[in-house]
Amino acid sequence: MARPVLRRVGAAEEPRPRVAHLDRDRRLVEAAQRDPARFEALYRRYLAQVYSYAYYELGNHHDAEDATERTFLSALTNLHRFEERAQPADGEGASTFRVWLFRIARNAVANQRRAERRHPTAPLEAAPLIADPLDVEGRVQARDEAAAAWRAVGRLPGDRRRALVLRFVDEMSTAEIAGVLGRSEGAVRVLIHRALRAVARQLREEGS
Amino acid sequence: MTFAGRDALEVDALRTDRYLESLLAAHERRAADAPADPDLDPSVRDAATRLGRDLVRLHPSFRFEERLAARLAQVAASMRLPAAAGAEGVTIGLLPPALPDADVDPARDPDDVDLEVQAGLQAIPRPILIGGALTSAALSIAGAAWVAWRRSRPPQTRLD
Repeated sequence: MARPVLRRVGAAEEPRPRVAHLDRDRRLVEAAQRDPARFEALYRRYLAQVYSYAYYELGNHHDAEDATERTFLSALTNLHRFEERAQPADGEGASTFRVWLFRIARNAVANQRRAERRHPTAPLEAAPLIADPLDVEGRVQARDEAAAAWRAVGRLPGDRRRALVLRFVDEMSTAEIAGVLGRSEGAVRVLIHRALRAVARQLREEGS
Repeated sequence: MTFAGRDALEVDALRTDRYLESLLAAHERRAADAPADPDLDPSVRDAATRLGRDLVRLHPSFRFEERLAARLAQVAASMRLPAAAGAEGVTIGLLPPALPDADVDPARDPDDVDLEVQAGLQAIPRPILIGGALTSAALSIAGAAWVAWRRSRPPQTRLD
C-alpha cells in the first residue's frame, strides 16, 4: 500500500506542497539494500509477475524459468543501483521498483531470445493446463477460446504484445508500462489501443 | 496521418485506457465486466474483456520457486560476507560464470548497451575473499611450527 507523504514538487511553479505517493515497495527495498537477505520478500511478491511476463514472451516454461532466474539474480546484485523515483502521476500503489525490475526482465528476455534465436509465434503450450483443472465438457470451449486469444496476442509485434501482457497479466498502470518500455504514456495508450484492435480483428477472422 | 486523425486516435486510445482501468478494477472486485464509454469501439471492448478473462497470471512450480529462493539466499549471504571477519582481504574474480555483470546497469535498454558488454550479463566471476584466508593460513602454519619446535626440545628438568 502506498503511503501518502507531503513533498514539495517544483516549488517555483507550485507554492503549495503536493501529496505524492511513495513507492509501495520502498520499505522492502530499503530493508534489502541494508541487508541482502531481506530481498526474499521482494522476490516472493514479484515472482509470479516476472515469470508470467517471461512466459508470455518466450512461450515455454524452461526459458521462462531461466529468464526469471537471471532477472532476480541481477536485481539482487544490482539493488544498490536502484533509486526510487515515484511521482504523483504514477498513481496510487505504483512501484518504481517494479518498473526497474521489469526493465531487467525485459533485457533478460531479450538476451534469452538472442541466444535462442527464436520468437514466440507458436501457441503457448500452457493453454490446456490453465483452462483444464477438472476437465469437464464445458471447459473445452473456454480452453479453445483462451488458446485463440493467446495466439492473437502472440502474433502482435514486440512492444504491442509486451504492452498487453504488462497491462492484462501484470496489471500495470499506463505510467508503469511507459517506464518499462521507455515510451511516453500517450504512446503506450495508442500502442495498447492499436493492439486491442488487432486482436479483435484476428479473433474475428478466426471466428472465435 | 492528419492532425485530426491523430487527435481522434489519441481520444480513442484514452477511452480504451479508461475502460481498461475500470475493467481491471472490476476484476479486483471479482466483477465480470465494467461500464464503458458508449463511444468506445465495441470490438475493442470485446477484445479487452476477452483478454481480461484469458490472459491469466501464471505461477512457476513450487520446486523452481524454492530452488531460486535458496540460490538468492546463497548470493545474499555472499554479499554480506565482506562485513564479517576477514573482510580486510581483497576480492578477486574466480569461477563460475553465473552472476550478472555488476558493471552493467541491468535495467538499461539493451539497444543502448554494447552486445559484448551485455553478454557479460551471463558471465561474471564470483568474488571470493583471499586476504583473510591467507592470514588465517599463515597463523596456522606458524602455530604448527611452534608446536613442532616445542616437541623437539628435550623436557626441562627442574634443578631444585
